Amino acid sequence: MSTQFAAKRLSKELSKINSSLPPGIELVSADNFEEWLLDIRVLDNNPLYQNQTYRLKFRFGSSYPIEPPEVVFVKLPDRPIPMHPHIYSNGIICLDLLGQQGWSPVQNVESVCMSLQSMLTGNSKNERPPGDDEFVRGNRLRPKDIEFYYHDNDV
Amino acid sequence: MPPPNTPEGVVTAPASPPASPAASQPTALLTGGGAGNTPLPEPEILELDYLSIEYVGPVDETLLCPICRTPFHSPVMMPCGHTFCVGCINQALEARSVCPLDRQPINKTRDYCRSPLIVKEQLDRLKVKCPNRRCDYECNREHLRGHYERRCEYTPVRCPIPDCTKYVARRDAKSENGCLHKEFPCQYCGEAVTSADCDDHYTDSCKGAIVSCDECGETVVRHRLGKHLAQDCPEGIARCKWHAAKWHRARCQVKGKRRDVREHERGCAYEFINELKDLRDQRARREAEDRQMINDLAARLARVEAASRRKRRPRERRERHEQGNEPAPMNETPLNPGNTETASRSIPTRNDETSLLPDFPVDNGARASPEAPSPEDYMLAQFERIEGHLEDLRKQMMEMDAHQSLGLLRTTARFNEQFAELGSKVGVLNMHTTWLMNMQRQTHVQQRTGSTTAGPPTAGISHTDDTSTTGALSSGTGVRYQAASRRSSSSGRGEHPPRL
Repeated sequence: MSTQFAAKRLSKELSKINSSLPPGIELVSADNFEEWLLDIRVLDNNPLYQNQTYRLKFRFGSSYPIEPPEVVFVKLPDRPIPMHPHIYSNGIICLDLLGQQGWSPVQNVESVCMSLQSMLTGNSKNERPPGDDEFVRGNRLRPKDIEFYYHDNDV
Repeated sequence: MPPPNTPEGVVTAPASPPASPAASQPTALLTGGGAGNTPLPEPEILELDYLSIEYVGPVDETLLCPICRTPFHSPVMMPCGHTFCVGCINQALEARSVCPLDRQPINKTRDYCRSPLIVKEQLDRLKVKCPNRRCDYECNREHLRGHYERRCEYTPVRCPIPDCTKYVARRDAKSENGCLHKEFPCQYCGEAVTSADCDDHYTDSCKGAIVSCDECGETVVRHRLGKHLAQDCPEGIARCKWHAAKWHRARCQVKGKRRDVREHERGCAYEFINELKDLRDQRARREAEDRQMINDLAARLARVEAASRRKRRPRERRERHEQGNEPAPMNETPLNPGNTETASRSIPTRNDETSLLPDFPVDNGARASPEAPSPEDYMLAQFERIEGHLEDLRKQMMEMDAHQSLGLLRTTARFNEQFAELGSKVGVLNMHTTWLMNMQRQTHVQQRTGSTTAGPPTAGISHTDDTSTTGALSSGTGVRYQAASRRSSSSGRGEHPPRL
């Protein structure tokens, strides 16, 4: 039942995405209702992200949109991981919007992409989160199982 | 096949056999109910899923649930004013007890308010398509459930075979069909199919035995080739569609390749004939309706006239009785002053009965009805007449009044004169008596003085005083009398000087 619910909701989103998308966001693939790939770009002149395109991977659980999707940046030869104090170098994003508490079922793929766009736009620090190396080396958990501590409300 | 549009209570079992087209079941047809007489359990219907309904035309964004992104289904409003489908918000609150839009805390179920009726009405009016694939029905959303659950013959119902738990279209759910869910390999592609879904399989997914039509070259599944040739193929042989028209003995005989026939149909004379026939039918229908209406109206008119005559006749008689012995022309005056001409014109044509009752509407159908005074006019005329009478009476009363007062004045004037005359006569008599009494007293006094030679002086003085007062009261004669008395008193004084 809930799988159907997720599929129906995603098919609605997909038809909307196929008809129109905000600038800087592109659908790469949505072959099923489990995993979608999208590309985002930062549109303003932030020197950290200029002329770069980043690949996002959405994974939807069966209880989407009640539960948040799993969203990570994917590293490809032409798709780096953006430099940001909340984005680990393995692509895991520390954003309350994507956590259990910050998520709301009214969010959707498009709104998540736009939130990430604005998160990058507003950033001026060319750095990784503290303890990035250690985390990347040691983490075996899925992003949704990581307990982030949202200490920084500025970005 | 369940009979469409049957009332709810009747369609207890869409799988009931009497509707079966199979003529090989005379018993079922004869009993009229067949196995339907024994109550069959209501087949379970696959629940209508509002999430997968297809809407006709765009739906306003404001009517979409923010969670499922489909138009609200059983919407509820949160204390903060946001609206969601009840199912969606229930799920969302399971995870987090806050409004998904503004994160205000919400108590599940207890805080729900009913969404405004206007929202419900807007939702009810949304046009939707029947979710059953082969059904083309479209309706307002509020009517969809009725269609889906009771009427649509493609609604999936529980397979009538007891052991099977699958669903089959309602029109196929007949016990005599057996279970349609037994799998067999597709004759073209070998894929496992069932009778229930082989039709969809041929249309959608069968990849085996695709042939190209010899006539037009289009690729079709072999299974569909016959149908393609019979219905779609532009090179196939077809007849003009007006060949099948049953309403006329003459039919369009054009026959040939479908493509040519389609071309021909666009200008086929029988199409125009058909249109003419439709028009003729329409006109005949309309004429019949008009005739019916005219008959109805005529009947009503007759009834109304009869009723009004019954009411009017006694009143008319009473009035005639009241007018009593007034001259005949008074009767002839039309009751409706605005209708003078018509009334006078219609009088000569009246028979004995109507001439007795002067101003009746003549009951001979449509000619008289527009000229006949309506009851209101009649009543108004009566009022006017009575008012005229009243006015006349008032004038007469005033005249009488004037006559009366004049006559009274005349008679009383004579009496006044007589009274005055009498008054003067009484005055004269009064003078005469006074004079006579004075004369008598004087003579009496003179007689006393003559005998005693010394009369009392007081008497003389008082006497003159008396005469002067009397003289002042009476005119002419009094003066003479005064002079006489003065003379007498002076003579008395002269003769008898006062002794004091």
